[in-house]
Amino acid sequence: MSVAERTQGPALSESGLEAHSPLARLQTWLEASATSAFILHAVLVVLFLAIFPLIVSLYVSLSRLQFVPGGFQLTFVGLDNYAKLVVGIDREHFMGRFGEPHPIGWLFFGLVVLSQILLMYRYIRGGNAAVGGAIGRIVTASAITAGAWLIVHTLGPASRPGTVVVTLIYVFAGIVIQYTLGLGLAYLCIQQIPARRFFRVVFLIPMMITPVGIAYLFRMLADTTKGPVYPIWNILGLANTSWVSNPWGARAAVMIGDVWQWTPFMFIVLLAALESQSIEPIEAAVVDGASRWQIFWEITIPTILPVSSTLILIRMIEAFKIVDLPNVLTNGGPGTATESLTLHAYTIWRTLDIGGSAAVAYMLLFMVTFIGVSYANLIRQRLAEA
Amino acid sequence: MKRSRYRSIFTPSPLGMAVTYVVLGVWAFVVLFPLYWLFVTSFKLPIDVNSGPFYIPFVDFKPSLHAWTYILVGDLRNDTFRTYRNTVVVSLASTTLALTFGSAAAYGLTRFKYQPKLGAILMFIGCVVLSIIAVVLGVPWQITVVAAIALFIILLQTIGKRFKRALGNNDIAFWLISQRMLPPVAVVIPIYILFQRLGMLDTWQALIIAYLAANLPIVVWLMRDYFQTIPIELEECAAIDGASYYRSFWSIILPLSLPGLVATFLFVLVFSWNEYLLALFLTNAKAQTLPLTVAAQNATRGPEWWYLSVLILIMIVPVIGMAIALERYIARGLLIGAIKG
Amino acid sequence: MKRHVALTLGLMAVLSLIVTACGGAATTAAPAALPYQGVTVNVLTFTGPQIAEPLQRHGPEFEKATGAHINVATVPFSDLYQKALTDFSTGTNSYDVIVFDPQWMGDYVAGGYLEDLTDRVKANKDLQWDDVGAFFRDFSATYQGKTYTIPLDGDFQMVYYRSDLIKTPPETWDDFIALAKEYQGKDLNGDSKPDYGTCIAMKRSAQSYWMVSSIASAFLQSQGTGQGGFFTTDNLQPLYGPNEGFGAALDVYKTLSTLGPPDQLNLDVGDTRGLFTSGRCALSIDWGDIGPLAVDPATSKVQDKVGAVILPGSKKVLDRASGKLVDCDAKTCPYATNGVNHAPFAAFGGWSGAINKNSKANVKDAAFAFLAYVSAPAQSNVDVTIGKTGFNPYRLSQFKSRDAWLKSGMSEKATADYLGAIEASLNSPNMVLDLRIPQNAYYQGTVLDTAIAQFLAGEIDKDATMKQISDGWNKKTDELGRDKQLAAYKATLGVTK
Repeated sequence: MSVAERTQGPALSESGLEAHSPLARLQTWLEASATSAFILHAVLVVLFLAIFPLIVSLYVSLSRLQFVPGGFQLTFVGLDNYAKLVVGIDREHFMGRFGEPHPIGWLFFGLVVLSQILLMYRYIRGGNAAVGGAIGRIVTASAITAGAWLIVHTLGPASRPGTVVVTLIYVFAGIVIQYTLGLGLAYLCIQQIPARRFFRVVFLIPMMITPVGIAYLFRMLADTTKGPVYPIWNILGLANTSWVSNPWGARAAVMIGDVWQWTPFMFIVLLAALESQSIEPIEAAVVDGASRWQIFWEITIPTILPVSSTLILIRMIEAFKIVDLPNVLTNGGPGTATESLTLHAYTIWRTLDIGGSAAVAYMLLFMVTFIGVSYANLIRQRLAEA
Repeated sequence: MKRSRYRSIFTPSPLGMAVTYVVLGVWAFVVLFPLYWLFVTSFKLPIDVNSGPFYIPFVDFKPSLHAWTYILVGDLRNDTFRTYRNTVVVSLASTTLALTFGSAAAYGLTRFKYQPKLGAILMFIGCVVLSIIAVVLGVPWQITVVAAIALFIILLQTIGKRFKRALGNNDIAFWLISQRMLPPVAVVIPIYILFQRLGMLDTWQALIIAYLAANLPIVVWLMRDYFQTIPIELEECAAIDGASYYRSFWSIILPLSLPGLVATFLFVLVFSWNEYLLALFLTNAKAQTLPLTVAAQNATRGPEWWYLSVLILIMIVPVIGMAIALERYIARGLLIGAIKG
Repeated sequence: MKRHVALTLGLMAVLSLIVTACGGAATTAAPAALPYQGVTVNVLTFTGPQIAEPLQRHGPEFEKATGAHINVATVPFSDLYQKALTDFSTGTNSYDVIVFDPQWMGDYVAGGYLEDLTDRVKANKDLQWDDVGAFFRDFSATYQGKTYTIPLDGDFQMVYYRSDLIKTPPETWDDFIALAKEYQGKDLNGDSKPDYGTCIAMKRSAQSYWMVSSIASAFLQSQGTGQGGFFTTDNLQPLYGPNEGFGAALDVYKTLSTLGPPDQLNLDVGDTRGLFTSGRCALSIDWGDIGPLAVDPATSKVQDKVGAVILPGSKKVLDRASGKLVDCDAKTCPYATNGVNHAPFAAFGGWSGAINKNSKANVKDAAFAFLAYVSAPAQSNVDVTIGKTGFNPYRLSQFKSRDAWLKSGMSEKATADYLGAIEASLNSPNMVLDLRIPQNAYYQGTVLDTAIAQFLAGEIDKDATMKQISDGWNKKTDELGRDKQLAAYKATLGVTK
């Protein structure tokens, strides 16, 4: 365990307890064994199954696979697979087709740029500016600006979003809806009402169905010619239209399935968090005559913020990998309208263009890591401090 | 006594109660209708599925047991039971292990300060890269692994001590979670080769290890947050009474974070229960799991809705049973207050 | 500990092998000895009754006769290709036999994973090789002049129509469109809901790229199978590129996309078969499966109302030199009937069995004997008439004797129609081979499929589609080596001249 080498005494990072001597003595005694022992297995297992595949697939993304007598051969091709996505023949597929943005798009873009400039200004005026921090912030700001540019230029009237933007739409729309729904339902479920246990169990069910199964289930439900919604569809006079033939309709169908499947995850974790909150502050607030809303906003929300921030991070990482729903529901169609990045990688991988597929996956990894790090540094810290 | 205090705060007014019921009822319908549709579809003949929506058995259409017999006693019987058993074993084993290792690690990360040296990590990665190159060039992997370990230890003992920069707990945690960022398609072939070289393809162990590694980060992250909400004073008291870390972890921390443990357990169990891509590659026949059977119902003739419905239903029944059994523990609530008060 | 178990197991395995070997040698004198006693053959195919069921059914029969145990492993259909290729290319070799799509052979043979069966096929009497349709014998089973697979199934696309509505089946794609227009929006099955002119599987990453080839082939290939329907044979220029022939096919496909169910762009063959057999479509393009499905009362409302016919053709074909469409005459369309050039498309190629080159010699023998047993007329002539199996006719004797078909519930007329359409396609000298060059899955499944999906959804126009396909194909060809790819393409075509 030399990698996660342990040093120093009882530095309890969260609550700073350096001075307590009995604990410190005990710690000295156990130091050598206990602290490492707690984390050792986890690190080793993850190391065993993470580092090697990660490095290998990085190499694969820089090469091309061919079958030769007796096995296969990887030819090193440099950044060719990446170039294909960014400037080559797969560009429209990956990044989308650019067009003049809608006025609302320009407005959005302007707001993003303005907010970045404002944040920068505040940071420099704040007096704690350092070279390293400033570089990090400039990189973050320019990446966010570039992302906003891509979004407004591919969502305009004459343009088309590529798999990158489609994935971002799934992730952000999905998380907002799922978190709101999950929190609302969890809050209602801690109320002392009859039959709440029934609801709690029912609400968990969608999470337990295998994602492939959910995808097929929603394909049955979304079918407007022989599925259960046919009568409603018919009454609305839509018998000759199908939502899966319209890009936004199809994306909505995918997102509905995603919300159905993942709201329970938000629900169960938030429920556990709400159940674990201490009762004293609430009682005190009640005595002081606070209203329900006040208690919810000023006591409950701050208590569950740390869990929420983790929850959103985990969900975000998983959401970026959305594949089963678009794959089964529409196979990424109509055209490429519902294709997520992972599905993009998976489609290429299925035809054994493993290098190209690994390149898409690595682009996704860069994106998620970047967004994840920014989130952890900027938002999560602030949430945890709040 | 505890309960009553709780009840007095969280009992809504009659109007609030009505609104609550309406909202919960609507969402319950949203959740249950698709399941009802699955249930009805499992009794339909192909022709009933294809010729339009039919809602109620015996009224709209004549139910048939053909799909149930096909899955449970007919052609697919052996596949169904074999994959079912594998799924149960693999998911329970990997979930238990992930919870044990993961909550221990989460405890470590919230209570101690780790400072892995950046240089040591870089050297480690360097050794891994070197050994991969060596294996690619044709050196047998056993020799390579030994040589790489030896090299790493030597490097660590000689120049490793000079590095000053170290990482902190948050970096370790972020590194763990970052392992889930790469989509599985990108890593499935290397993992396949890894297990092939170890001779472990088509075994329970391979799947258990793979799921364990995939689930650990989630367990660590979720449990870390639950542990952080537990006041440190409890452990201090225990330490004064002479309890070791292991003891206070086992008899104070774990019981207190039971709701979190149960929630995490359910989530992780569900993940291993339902995983598809790794299961496809790491198994050949003996160790195949249920999701493969589900996905396989879409073959050259298009999705066989009736079989899919049966399989999904028999697949969620045990997990729902588990959810019902464990729901109580999530609902325990406010334990911290109870102990302190 | 584990190591010990593994060692012990290994030792036991070796011992038991020696024992069986000695036992085999010792008992050769005894007449009751079965030839493959103690041999286990691991077969891989996809889950579902279509292929796995007949194999599992014949396994015990075969074991009784020869002593070889047949072990059928299955994986989901969509992942069979990568799964088997990963297993073989990494040297894992868990499977002795794969029952797969011979269209994938390009990659499997290039890697040298498959056993050359040429001599065994010649030597085996049960198989009755000459009874297998010439197309399957010479194309499906053969790659670059060597036989690698044993066909168990025959696959090509045909047009199915409602014979109670349509009296003159379509001869050209224009006829097809006219008929589809006529019936679109009319009630076809008496439930007073509007039904559809045509149901074609246009879903992305499903069967859409075969459907477009079924249409395009009539415009692109007219000089017989050896001409090839995908590339020019001089420098491998894509025919699926900017030219009038492919353009005309794209127009047809786009028009048909508006003459079907509203969600036609999201239908795969499973959906279209369901719609067709429940009487909701007047026309459909499909493989042979609809025939047996249409007579099964559990799946069909159109029993005896289904006709089948060879894929429609075109009166104009592509002149490859100029890229223009020219009228059919004796020179441009030597195989035309009534001035219409038909080019039936052997999409997919039919499920076939192949043997792993790295299996042990006696396992290979047993594996071959098993495949020959399943393919032999006594077994396969019954299997092809069972709707549940995915086996479609591929032997001459399956066309000649119609008893088995009548016994399965098909009417006299339906049998004649169904088998007639298959026979007409099969006998066509202008049959189009499906693409079989290394990494053809990328050419068709990624490049062609994505472009067609985008074209149908209106994301790109006709010219952009043609350009996108030919650019994508050329890029891949250059990556893999144009000469190598050209040689492989010509080799697949050469054998049937």
